[in-house]
Formats: sequence, structure tokens, C-alpha cells
Amino acid sequence: MNNPYTYTEAEIVDIAEETANIKTFRLRPKSPIAFKAGQFMDVTIPGIGEAPFTPSSNHNVKDVLDFTIMSAGRVTKLLHQMKKGDTVGLRGPYGLGYPLEKFKSKEIFIVGGGVGLAPLRALLYALFNEVDDYKKIILKYGARTPKDIVYKTEIDSWRKKAKHIDIEITTDVGDDIWKGHVGIVTTILKDLDVNMEEAVSIVCGPPIMMKFVTFKLLDLGFRDSNIHLSMEKNMSCGIGKCGHCRIGPYYACKDGPVFTYDKIKDLPNIWD
Amino acid sequence: MTEKIYTITKKNLFDLFGRLSGTHRVIVPYEKGENFHFADFDPKKEDSIELGGIRQSQPLKSFINPPREGMLSVHNEGSKPVIIAGVKGCDLSSLMLQDFVFLQGDYEDPFYSKGRSGTMLIGNDCTYAKETCFCIAMDGAPYPKKYFDMNLSRMDDYFVVEAETDKGNSLISSFRMFFAKASRADIDKRQYNRDRVSAQIKDFINKRGTKNTSQIKDAVMKNYNLTALWQDFASTCVECGACNLACPTCHCFLLFDERSKENFKKRYRVWDACLYRTFARVAGGANPRKHLYERLRNRFEKKFDFFPKALNYFACTGCGRCIDACPGNIDLREVLKGLVDGKWNKPPND
Repeated sequence: MNNPYTYTEAEIVDIAEETANIKTFRLRPKSPIAFKAGQFMDVTIPGIGEAPFTPSSNHNVKDVLDFTIMSAGRVTKLLHQMKKGDTVGLRGPYGLGYPLEKFKSKEIFIVGGGVGLAPLRALLYALFNEVDDYKKIILKYGARTPKDIVYKTEIDSWRKKAKHIDIEITTDVGDDIWKGHVGIVTTILKDLDVNMEEAVSIVCGPPIMMKFVTFKLLDLGFRDSNIHLSMEKNMSCGIGKCGHCRIGPYYACKDGPVFTYDKIKDLPNIWD
Repeated sequence: MTEKIYTITKKNLFDLFGRLSGTHRVIVPYEKGENFHFADFDPKKEDSIELGGIRQSQPLKSFINPPREGMLSVHNEGSKPVIIAGVKGCDLSSLMLQDFVFLQGDYEDPFYSKGRSGTMLIGNDCTYAKETCFCIAMDGAPYPKKYFDMNLSRMDDYFVVEAETDKGNSLISSFRMFFAKASRADIDKRQYNRDRVSAQIKDFINKRGTKNTSQIKDAVMKNYNLTALWQDFASTCVECGACNLACPTCHCFLLFDERSKENFKKRYRVWDACLYRTFARVAGGANPRKHLYERLRNRFEKKFDFFPKALNYFACTGCGRCIDACPGNIDLREVLKGLVDGKWNKPPND
């Protein structure tokens, strides 16, 4: 009998320290796992607990999956103590991925905040797989300080993938070395060479950042049905049965975790 | 119409339970004071078995989807099939929701599926009603209408038996020496009893002014921002979750992992309660329902808005367990009345 509550073992084959409290774990599951960018999986520390994360790696690679994880709660704190060679569990993938078909031949406007760049990295790699299918790919990324920027060594290589890729990074506060923009991420959402009526936007970051970015995008003229938001909710089962992640008529786990703003804008407490 | 309706004497019924106990786990209701509770059939305690009365303390979900269950492997061998006798109409109707949650969608829950298919449900008419009974307001009845394999309606010292499914028919067929054909008079008497208990419940509903499903349709969402109402009803809530745990339709659960002394890794499913502060909180600390009144409101939203929209089903069977269980005297009927009528009193704080 197929048991959706159990997990397959996966070996930690690499750990990259992104920032003081964010690490990217490269996991090799016992058998390859097919997922779509934007779907999430539950990572288990056997006998301890599990938590949901969206893989941050290219969905064309199925034998090793990256998970970029901030130390925030009980399970993630313990994950951060784990070493290369240790074993974790994986179950999933769950939820709907980013609607890449809908993005085809459009201008793609991505806004990330902090560790929220993790699922967006999976999205970017998915877009890069067929980079010429998209009119333009723009990433606006904000981190608290220059030290909190994730994927530092990779971002330059993303810029070189194609001419129609444009990446801008800002930090809330600067430091002695930082030469980039200083200010919260909404301060770089201006002077955009984008057809707002037609473009699609994808946003992932802390709730307060998503809230203000969404309002800014609406001001700029983005359609609410073209703003894709990653809704972070308490999830347990991942398959629409345990009841935790309900948002109005939806379960974030099976109807999301990515929702277009038109679907959720009238629901209570969506930014909390 | 009398073909599938039989009678069985009390003695024969208990003999039948005794015979079935060899191959099945047989669960029956026992009377204790004013209450009834389910426990394994024990011929030594036959005197306190009551296949009548009102709904038992435990909701039916306790036996199909236990409060705590190991989740890493589905055990297929060793466990006996289960027969639960004495299940009331309010509990049986909850299966519409439980089946929807656990059997439908992209993933069938193998644990629930096994519990459900491995359990024979013997329904049972209520022989009286309690003031907290309001099944009729929730489109139910004090006798089983659906989801039973066989039903028992208590007469004085015998039962009218009706088989509903193949499981029920084959049980009767296998033990046909225990059963006799029901007469027209038996069936009329059963109807008389059903009408009598129904009238008693309607009387309770009318006296209190309890709202019915057509009156409460849309009431929660219309009054979603009527914060004073939600705060007043939450004023005596102690966040114990008893309303959730006693409810036959509440289905929420939590997965948790632990290590045994031998370092054996385990994962359990435990019933969860949306009244608990941590229910929707995420690791970063954000909580969409920080305030207690928001969590109380959430319970009503789920029952009287989410499920009517998702399943065309009001997720309350009118069993009244949450009213009995609440140490804060929060009465679901009074909340619904407040929503519909726009006036309400705080729960009595005694």
C-alpha cells in the first residue's frame, strides 16, 4: 500500500554555507526524485521531525537536489548541525509548481527577499533551461546586509546566461565593501523597462516584504492575476488532509504554495 | 419492503456478539450514569451494554482514525476486523466528511482506508434525546440514514434489524438462526419511536431557537468582522481543544517524530486542535491566528463555510459533544444564534 507519510532516505553530499544562518544542503536521494520548480518537499530528520522546503536546484537534475535552509525553528536548527554523509528523509514533491507554460514568451519579473531566493533559484534555473522562450528575465533581490546575500558566487554566472537577463541586488543597509544599491527591495522597483500589463511577476520573501512588493507591483500596473506569491503556512501532511495550512477555501500545500494575488487578495490575514 | 428487516432478541444479539468476538474486535456501548461509552464487548458486563440511549462520549473517528497512530508502516496482518455496534445517526453522518478528507483527492490515506474498510458499522436508533441534541437542525436524524452496514432499533427486549449493505446482509445470512422476520407491527413501532424522539429533538430546537442549516448558510462570513461576537464567545475559552477532539467531523492532525529508547525512529499522527495557539504558527514566528477569538472563529469558518463550499456539507452533526465538553460553557448553538440574530450573551462564567 502506498504510504504518503513515509520518506525515502537521502544522503547529505554537500553543504554550502551561504550566510551566518543559511546553508544549502545538497541531498542525494536513494532513487531520483522528479519535481517541478516551485513544488515543495518535506525534509525529515528521522526520529526528530520534518519541515517543508522548496528545492532550490534545477528541476532537470533529479539525482541530487539542493535545499537552501535558514536556521529558524526546531528542525532547521538541528539540520544546521548535520554533516556531510549524514542521512535525512525526503517525501514529496507536493503542491503545484510555477506555471511555466503561462510564462512562455512573456517578460518575467522576479522579486526575492532574503532566503526567499531559494525557490526562485529553482525557477531561474528552470527558465534558463529554455532561456530563449522568455522575452526578458529580470531579478530584483533584496537582502538585509551584504553578508546576508545568498548564492553570492553564482549570481554573476546567472547574468551571463543570456543578454536578456537583468539582475539587480540591494541591501537594507550597506557596509564598507558593498558598492551596490542600499535600500529595501521596493526602492529598486522603479524605472523598469517592462510592459507591466503583460508581464508576469513572481515574488518570494518574508511576509512583510511580499506585502509591500505586491502593493508596489499593483501600483506599477501589474495585473493581480499575474502576481505569483509563495505563501508560507504551517504545513504538516503536505497532501491536503491535516488542515493546518488552510487559507480560506484553499490548502497552501495542495492548491499552492504559489498563488496568484487575485485568488487570495480578499482572504483574511494572508500576510501574517 | 419488509424483506431486509428482521428482529433479534437481546439474548441472541449478545450470543451473536460472543460468536463474532472470536474473529473480530467487537465494540459496543456501555451505560455509565447518564453517559454512554464504547468499549470491547465483554459478556461479563452484558447488563450495562445499552444499544439505545443517545450518542456515546467518544466520536466515531476514535475507532477509524485513532487519536494517536504510528505512520511509518501500514500493518496489514495480525489486526482483527472491527465491528462497532451502537453507532448513532450523528456519528455516521460525519463519515461523509471524513471519507472526503481521507479517501478523496490526489492521495488516499492508507491508514484511514484500512480502518474504514476493515470496520463493520452497526447503526443504532436513539431511544431518547438530550437537551444538547440538535441533529435535526443539521439535516440529520436520531436514527441512521446512511453509512451503516446494519442497524439495530431497540424495542423493549428485542431489536428491529435492518441490513443496508452486502456486509450487513451476509452477517445476517451467516447467523440466520439468530434472526426472525420483522412484522408490520415491528416496523410500525420502530417508526413510532423514531417520530417520538424526533419530536423531542424538535421541541429542544424550538425552545432554544437553535438555527438550522438554511438559516446559518453564509452567517459566518457575513459576520466575519463582527469581532465583538467572536471576542465575547472566546472570553471563557481556555484553549483546551476539547471541542475539536470531541467533534466527529474535526479531522485535523499533526505528524510528529520521535526516537524510542532503542533509537528506533517513529512517526505518529495525533489529532490536532485549531484552538491551540501553535496550530497555524510557522517556524519564523508568524501566526495568521494570533488571537484566541480568531481561532474560535476559524473553527466556525471551517465548519460552516469551508465544508459547505467544498462538499455541500455543514460540518456539524448536531451531536452536542462540544457543548458538553467545553469547560468555558461555549455553546455552538448560541454562537450560531448570535450570528443569525445579531444579538448574543457572553457564555456564563461559572
